[in-house]
Amino acid sequence: MATLQVDPIPRALYSLGLLIRELEIPLTNPIQTIKDLTQSALGNINAAASLADLEKVRVAVLGRKGELAGISKTFGAMAPEDRAKAGQLLNEAKATLEKSFEDRKASLEGSESDQRFKAEWIDLTVPPQGIAPGHIHPVTQVQDEIEQLFISMGFRVLDGPEVETDYYNFDALNIPSDHPARDMQDTFWMTDGHLLRTHTSPVQVRALQKYGAPMRMIAPGRVFRNEEVDASHEHTFYQVEGMMVDRDVSVSHLIYFMQTLLSSVFGRKVTVRLRPGYFPFVEPGFELDIQCLICGGNGCAVCKQSGWVELLPCGLVHPNVIANCGLDPQEWNGFAFGLGLTRLAMMRYAIDDIRLLQSGDLRFLNQF
Amino acid sequence: MKFSYTWLRELVPGLKMDVTTLAQQITMKTAECEGVHDPGAFPGASVAAVAHAENSDPDSIIEIDNKSLTNRPDLWGHLGMAREVAAIAGLSVADPVGDLYPFTPKAGANGAPLPRATSKGDLSITIGDASLCARFSGQRVENVKVAPSPLWMQYRLNSLGVNPINNLVDVTNYVLCELGQPMHAYDADLLGDTIVVRAARKGEPILALNGEKYSLGPEDIVIADAEKPVGIAGIIGGNDTAIRATTRRIVLEAASFPAANVRKSSSRLKLRTDASMRFEKGQDPENTVRALARAVELLKQISPGSQAAQPIDVYARKSAPPKIQLDIDWAERKLGRKLSTEEVINIFRSLVFGVEQLNGRKLLLTVPSWRATKDISIPEDLVEEIGRMVGYASIVPQAPAVLAAPTARNLEHEQHRAVRDALTGQGFTEVSNYSFISDADAAMFGYAPEKLLQVANPIIAEQKYMRPTLLPGIRRNLADNSRFFSDFRLFEIGREYCKGKDGAPVERTHLAAAIYGRETNGANLLEMKRVAQYLALDCKVVPAKAHGKTMHPERSAHVEIAGQQVGNLYELHPSLLDRGRAAILQLDLDALQALPAQRQAYRPLRRFPSSSFDLSIVAGSHELVGNLETRLRQLAGEGLIGLQFLLIFPLPPDKKSVSFRLTLGADDRTMTADEVTHTRERVVEGIKSAGYELRE
Repeated sequence: MATLQVDPIPRALYSLGLLIRELEIPLTNPIQTIKDLTQSALGNINAAASLADLEKVRVAVLGRKGELAGISKTFGAMAPEDRAKAGQLLNEAKATLEKSFEDRKASLEGSESDQRFKAEWIDLTVPPQGIAPGHIHPVTQVQDEIEQLFISMGFRVLDGPEVETDYYNFDALNIPSDHPARDMQDTFWMTDGHLLRTHTSPVQVRALQKYGAPMRMIAPGRVFRNEEVDASHEHTFYQVEGMMVDRDVSVSHLIYFMQTLLSSVFGRKVTVRLRPGYFPFVEPGFELDIQCLICGGNGCAVCKQSGWVELLPCGLVHPNVIANCGLDPQEWNGFAFGLGLTRLAMMRYAIDDIRLLQSGDLRFLNQF
Repeated sequence: MKFSYTWLRELVPGLKMDVTTLAQQITMKTAECEGVHDPGAFPGASVAAVAHAENSDPDSIIEIDNKSLTNRPDLWGHLGMAREVAAIAGLSVADPVGDLYPFTPKAGANGAPLPRATSKGDLSITIGDASLCARFSGQRVENVKVAPSPLWMQYRLNSLGVNPINNLVDVTNYVLCELGQPMHAYDADLLGDTIVVRAARKGEPILALNGEKYSLGPEDIVIADAEKPVGIAGIIGGNDTAIRATTRRIVLEAASFPAANVRKSSSRLKLRTDASMRFEKGQDPENTVRALARAVELLKQISPGSQAAQPIDVYARKSAPPKIQLDIDWAERKLGRKLSTEEVINIFRSLVFGVEQLNGRKLLLTVPSWRATKDISIPEDLVEEIGRMVGYASIVPQAPAVLAAPTARNLEHEQHRAVRDALTGQGFTEVSNYSFISDADAAMFGYAPEKLLQVANPIIAEQKYMRPTLLPGIRRNLADNSRFFSDFRLFEIGREYCKGKDGAPVERTHLAAAIYGRETNGANLLEMKRVAQYLALDCKVVPAKAHGKTMHPERSAHVEIAGQQVGNLYELHPSLLDRGRAAILQLDLDALQALPAQRQAYRPLRRFPSSSFDLSIVAGSHELVGNLETRLRQLAGEGLIGLQFLLIFPLPPDKKSVSFRLTLGADDRTMTADEVTHTRERVVEGIKSAGYELRE
């Protein structure tokens, strides 16, 4: 730095300096010059309207050939003590100006990007372009949920044919041809003697025949009843059959599974009750009711003031069915149940016309 | 099935339960009660008059769901329900037949010679074949007078939904409602002295009580006089021997017919009666003589002066009362609840089973005749009796101890879920259509009816065949929704049905997806191709001749994976839609599922730079871009690491320019400029010598 220059000062210049001081020749005073320059430079920095203007100011004042650098060149003529003083002042001025310059630069940069960003404004309330997502059928949604639930409890998900034999649909399930229970299910028959399964129960038999015991399975799927269609009757609907076969499966296990699973399906604690019901493929057979979720069991229009809603048939698998599956009923037993997926979907979404489900009407389906 | 609360209280003396509580108890322990209501209006008598006649408060009717009585023929009469109520309430039944029974019928039980007329004028009953009728009991009653029944009987029948007719007929119906035993009353003078139970002859006619004529056959059982049928067994009586105003002598019939035969005849003749509904569930043969005794007793009251002859009873097939052994420990395991021996014994006593304690926890139970129909025959049936009487609410839910093992996955369902998720992500909504199609659908889509699985008993024409393709449903969805939407996408995953090689039904799960546009013309087809490749990354769309009436003749392709066709991509034939166009993708999901998984090993990242050049090939406007790609790949050889289609530029009238970017590179070095130039020249030469021009 200039003030620390160690070059010997030429004697002649030194003498001249003395002379000037002594004669009080009114030459430019470097200290005053620094002060003046600082003031005017600060003004210019603050006045700079753009980064380009600011840079010009910087070059003029702080640049290598700028004004401050010019002043330092005059220090040679000064007395050493003055020179030190002026040098210190110059350094202070330089620091002040550099800080001021950086501040101004940051401020100018900020406002310039602000402006650029403002120009890039986008209205995010504009609806997006492109394809809106489609919708999964409400019955499929319920089925998926039930499948995941049962998988999590160690049940496997199995399928069976929709065009069945009367053996699997009836005989193997302990419903012989003269059994009055066949009247309970109006059947679509094929001209070749097959039938459309009236329930998903045949998959019980197929599963045990194929995989043996122990077995925990569900069989969701489409079933058919030959009846007239109206707002609450369909010839085509969905069920899920469930079965557990093991050693010493009891009614208490059945209630446990039903209570746990239905609580999960409905998303809150569900109270169930069993009462006698007759289905040829179970013995004992039950109707399972859940305590009305609308009124909590106090009685309302939905539960017809009874506090209970009939939900599904179930029971302990009839020993004849176990035997028809090729297993020894002395060794193996189990429980089975059938849940109406269509009914569940209608309950969940308060759908009051069953025909909508098979209508293919997007005004309906796009709501799910 | 309707039950009178007053009647039940008569049969169970001391019953204090109000009707609502009683209905709930019956629901929880016996059969489903659908509601409690007042008896319907009774024409011709005020409530007060009826109450006076009944000597009680106005009645309430308990309505029980018939389905829940399917296996309980004993509950098709008030006495049966009263037995249940007595068991539930811890009371005893007052059997209306109690005082009249036992009595000695004139003919013996099974094994005794079938009785003939024992003296002149006696009734002669013959059961030709014991398999057609287990028991037939008849009794002649002389000196009857046809008149209206007393008000109390009319009221009771009316509240149970039975029309009062006259005192003689009403008595048989009253006994039906009380004991559950169907009866019939013949005019004895019209019937004569002979009754034969036999199979009908082929084409044998009968004019029934309902005024209808029926033509019978050997599968029907009839009650006949010496020559002709006078009734269809277990279903309906004949008109020629019916009670009329002039009737002075009657013959009462109470019999037991086999359930299966009655059921078949009833459904074949499409004739369901109060009698047939009971017989087809199985009737207790022990009940026939009880019913006669009760009817005769009632006749004494309501047709004073009537005189009953000795009953004639033919018990052709008597079964010993079934005995079942019950292990209480086993029943405990079945129910998952502790049972005391005393508790179990009390339950079976209350249900009128014979109870014999074998040793400690083992019982030998004799089933009462009215439960021995088909209802109770195995130990599991006894578990139900215990369970319902202790109450299922007393069983504590408990998780089973089971082997922990991974659950086998259902890969088909996982595939369906993945396809559904992918398609909904691409804007498709899932529909669900019926499995049936009509003749018109079959014709529209070019299917010969004889190749389809046919429904034998459709209700409507739309249910005539099983769908061999999802398309008719999808087409209907497109037409229906086009009224409300100009552009939409939908899909269905469902089964298609056809006859296999051996004629047996085959079901395969297919996907059908459609993109509909009211104004678009072909634009959606390539979008659908994108969707196909989105679903099955490695699928190829190979132009193929359109077949059937379903595809646009110039816009159809196969979808192939590893050289195997797994579906079709095409535009629906424009004639199948009134307006708009639809791109269709059909995939055989079962076939896709069966393909081996394509698992590729990782390829190291390229370490050396590549270089690219573009080519624009001028070709005929019907030249396939796919063919040009194949040609370029062959010409460029191994060094080609990327071939990118850029654009098509039409050159009317009959040419187009197709631009590609070819990228060259090598795995182990940087290709030299010479190599690149050399390859490029080889490609250009090849293209030109194949007859194409290049566009600068």
